[in-house]
Amino acid sequence: MTQPKVSVSLISSSSSRGRTAPRGEPVSHQPPAMDLELNFEISRTAEFILSRNFTRVALQFPDDLLKHSTKVVTCLRNKLGSGNKVGLFVMADTTFGSCCVDEVGASHIGADCVIHYGHTCLSPTSTLPAFCVFGKASINISCCVEKLSSYFRTNGKPIVVLYGLGYAHAISQIKRALEEAMPKTKMELIFSDVMCSIINPLEDHRNSDGLEGCLGTYSSENSLGSGTRYSLGGLTWDLPEGQRMEDYLLLWIGPENSAFSNAVLTFNGCEIVRYDATEDQLVTDVSQQKRILKRRYYLVERAKDANMVGILVGTLGVADYLHMIHQMKELIMLAGKKAYTLVMGRPNPSKLANFPECDVFIYVSCAQTALLDSKEFLAPVITPFEAMLAFSSGSQWTGTYVLEFRDLINSSQLEVSKRPEEARFSFLKGGYVEDFEPQENGDEDNDSTLALANATEKALQLRDRDPGSLVKRTVKSGAEFFVTRSYHGLETHANTSSPEPYLIGRSGKASGYEDERSEPELRSN
Amino acid sequence: MDRCFLELRIDGEEAYQTFQRVIENVNVIMATYEDPQLGDVQVYPDKGTVAFSAGLHGWAFTLTNFAKMYASRFKVDESKMMERLWGENFFDTATRKWTTKNTGSATCKRGFVQFCYEPIKQIINICMNDQKDKLWAMLGKLKITMKSHEKELMGKALMKRVMQTWLPASDALLEMMIFHLPSPSKAQKYRVDNLYEGPLDDVYANAIRNCDPEGPLMLYVSKMIPASDKGRFFAFGRVFSGKVSTGLKVRIMGPNYVPGEKGDFVKSVQRTVIWMGKKQETVEDVPCGNTVAMVGLDQSISKTATLTNEKEVDAHPIRAMKFSVSPVVRVAVQCKVASDLPKLVEGLKRLAKSDPMVVCYMDESGEHIVSGAGELHLEICLKDLQEDFMGGAEIIKSDPVVPFRETVLERSCRTVMSKSPNKHNRLYMEARPLEEGLSEAIDEGRIGPSDDPKVRSKTLADEFGWDKDLAKKIWCFGPETTGPNMLVDMCKGVQYLNEIKDDVVTGFQVASEEGALADENMRGICFELCDVVLHADAIHRGGGQIIATARRVLYASQLTAKPRLVEPVYLVEIQAPEQALGGIYNALNQRRGHVFEEMQRPGTPLYNIKAYLPVIESFGFSSTLRAATSGQAFPQCVFDHWDMMPSDPLVPGSQAAGYVANIRKRKGLKEQMTPLSEYEDRL
Repeated sequence: MTQPKVSVSLISSSSSRGRTAPRGEPVSHQPPAMDLELNFEISRTAEFILSRNFTRVALQFPDDLLKHSTKVVTCLRNKLGSGNKVGLFVMADTTFGSCCVDEVGASHIGADCVIHYGHTCLSPTSTLPAFCVFGKASINISCCVEKLSSYFRTNGKPIVVLYGLGYAHAISQIKRALEEAMPKTKMELIFSDVMCSIINPLEDHRNSDGLEGCLGTYSSENSLGSGTRYSLGGLTWDLPEGQRMEDYLLLWIGPENSAFSNAVLTFNGCEIVRYDATEDQLVTDVSQQKRILKRRYYLVERAKDANMVGILVGTLGVADYLHMIHQMKELIMLAGKKAYTLVMGRPNPSKLANFPECDVFIYVSCAQTALLDSKEFLAPVITPFEAMLAFSSGSQWTGTYVLEFRDLINSSQLEVSKRPEEARFSFLKGGYVEDFEPQENGDEDNDSTLALANATEKALQLRDRDPGSLVKRTVKSGAEFFVTRSYHGLETHANTSSPEPYLIGRSGKASGYEDERSEPELRSN
Repeated sequence: MDRCFLELRIDGEEAYQTFQRVIENVNVIMATYEDPQLGDVQVYPDKGTVAFSAGLHGWAFTLTNFAKMYASRFKVDESKMMERLWGENFFDTATRKWTTKNTGSATCKRGFVQFCYEPIKQIINICMNDQKDKLWAMLGKLKITMKSHEKELMGKALMKRVMQTWLPASDALLEMMIFHLPSPSKAQKYRVDNLYEGPLDDVYANAIRNCDPEGPLMLYVSKMIPASDKGRFFAFGRVFSGKVSTGLKVRIMGPNYVPGEKGDFVKSVQRTVIWMGKKQETVEDVPCGNTVAMVGLDQSISKTATLTNEKEVDAHPIRAMKFSVSPVVRVAVQCKVASDLPKLVEGLKRLAKSDPMVVCYMDESGEHIVSGAGELHLEICLKDLQEDFMGGAEIIKSDPVVPFRETVLERSCRTVMSKSPNKHNRLYMEARPLEEGLSEAIDEGRIGPSDDPKVRSKTLADEFGWDKDLAKKIWCFGPETTGPNMLVDMCKGVQYLNEIKDDVVTGFQVASEEGALADENMRGICFELCDVVLHADAIHRGGGQIIATARRVLYASQLTAKPRLVEPVYLVEIQAPEQALGGIYNALNQRRGHVFEEMQRPGTPLYNIKAYLPVIESFGFSSTLRAATSGQAFPQCVFDHWDMMPSDPLVPGSQAAGYVANIRKRKGLKEQMTPLSEYEDRL
């Protein structure tokens, strides 16, 4: 059999750290062909590509699956048939989280669809259709059912079962086994369904029927049609009318990852148990996740005291991200604060430390990469939902938590709410603080002239008695911040009007210029 | 006084000597507060500045009461009589002559004893013995009429009633206030120096000085008084100049307000009220010199504030009150039902308002913290919080927690170095403890970031033996730019150093707030930046590279300089009889406390004991003490100072290490401290 020519190119969106595809994998690591076929759902993928007549297909691998990429491409090429002129491209090392579909990367090669492998957040894309292959994590179904049923007997609550997408393949079996293991009469058991493994851009894919039957949506017998529908990270489930999530016990099958903490934060009022398939044990202690919630609450309080806000673009793919960024800008402006938008790929502490003037950052990204918190960050990084809490006056933390920013767009009320009577009480400063007056647009002229007069009145006051003083003061904008810095950049000498003589600069690389080569210290680094 | 007559039954001369001694003691204490502006603050009974009282029974007198009574009888003027009623003046009833020496005859008695003490004693005795006929006769002489139902009273109750009618405490007190406290117009002349934070020659200072009703409004709100409708407060304070009227728009400046910056509010006064005893009287306006309670400002004032007219943007606030105690004990509170959170938040706001001492804030892990002066104080606060301010919603409180500080014992054993993430920049640093007393001087504000550098370097050189040039190279104080830690530049000839100064300072502020041991504030550490190697290209030595590096090198230098924990220590005062002393010593020793003063109170069998007790050991101390002394001793604890714990927190198993582990656990940090190797890099 002659191998068709496979065009494999590696797209790396991060130029500095390009990864080379591990082409020469040792044979011993290679999973058997059957496994590969099953794990990566080659035939379904091929069917998807063929049915929609895609010609340029980008295959997006997370770092841990990258080693299988060549084999997957080979298999897929085989499946697609030799006569087919489908171009397959491997993408890796995405700019943002690997759970999102990297549309920008795909458009570099002009792809018309993306096949996403591995863990995904199933966030909708804005331009390209995507097909998600979750992979199949191994799970011992009998052990799992045994553990679960013994736990359920001690706990009388009705149960909602959620799971990591890698376990989606085993859910129908678990469900059947669980129902057999337990008397049907007592237990109310709701299994969530995978919405769909196909993401169609800008479409309400709740209605899209996708490739039902291939992976299958596991229809729940309990769904009575008239209940409330919940969805989270690609899973949907229905609750009967009159029931709230708080009444249910939440069972999570899967590892402790961002999808899980997402679920814990969103349903923080529920009792939650996690079944770890690799360790084969039930974990009932989710205090670490609850602690996160408290910590987020603190970050919201911090954000309330902020004057300058940096909006970090954390995705270029998730639908409506631009809309969200605009909405955030508007919100910040209405709160009388200053906003800066920053695009920097995946943020890390030293990148953010280059913007010391920002008191808080809002990270607009998909739900599962949204939580960034570390002591290393100088300023808190919050989610759009938290920003809404912090910057719209009068809103209060009630315990509900939304990570998906798309849910916010619908629910937000951006009208200028009347400023509340009471001054804001800052729990960080332990007293009342004055917020900036929201910038009034189009008010009476009379008023605004007076406002200007007031502003100048304050501005004309003696600002700094002693330039060497070390007192920190609040600043309202980046420009003001730089004025208060002790170093203002190069000195400008206003007296000399004649141009400076030109000098020949250095040449070479930043890590060691040519004239620095002799320094032994630099070399030792 | 009541004890003199009823319990001790001492005679007049002895009582006089006791009183004399008490007054002398008071005058000794007052002498330490002497201020030339305030004038003579010593008290003299013969000038009417001392009232003798029995607070329990509600009666009191000054010598003026008696002087008035006798002046007509002796046909001398009142002031002359006053003088005779105190000091070395004796009266002989036989000869009816005044002398300045005790003549020795049995009928010769001191004026005070003869004319004040004895009559009171007599009346009290008569009352106690229920000799009513005699009593009515005496009362008649004194022109005191009792109401008929009061005549039915017997024994102690009768005595109390009679004394209250004869020598009411309120009259004595009011008389002293009227005659001896200076009027606001007089007092503000000298008070302005201490009251006003701004320049003493501006229009506001002058208005306060002259108590000028036409001047700009200057009003200090000193207390928030809970109003009858739930959750609202009256703002109570004194008008120093101008006048405040109903409907007036006022500018509210918080206690730490700096003129020209944000943090002030404009609100209108809805109602001005004069508070008279239990009653309130709504009035149109209140001019300077009076106290006033205002409605409608409570939503902008947390504890105290300075009010002025809306347009007076140049006014500085009036200096905030200082407390002799500070909040060193705290508990974390959370509500039992998560949805009560808004109630908790609202309740904490109100609690912070109602108590001038308590501080409500939120810590890094998102817990609400209530911080107070001691265990008991907190208990009362939390009771108020739950019952009055949260409508009975249930709250969970954590065990009391004491804030620690981190310091160093000696200079770093070596100069430590950290590299920036890109490895192109290096910071070299050493840590050393600040000189003794310097931390306290910074706390008190004697040395601080806003000082004139020349004055500061002179103080540092003279008092703390700093090198004059070094003192000029202090980059900053921290945490919060004012704390008792310093960053000093010791570099010589480093290029671009001024460019990274701000970044290093930012790193220092973060690090000094959260030390390497347990994320507690640092205290008393001086960091010396020894050397810096920077990349030649500005983009490679930006904030992103330097801030985190500065923080790491600060931690590394702290860890190499024998880090120690510092804990707050109470000054405990205990008053107890001699037989309880053993128990007190035992109880204190068990809790790492030590006595440094033991004094018998003259004239009593009681001992005054002063001791130092670590705050963390003080929980449950009063009950232990009661048990150990069968209820004879009751401690009074006041935060006194910070004290270094001798044990090494880096040695596993030491007491300090135990505390560090606890704090880290509470804060949700890794229980193991981050090792030095994480912070320090090698070439």
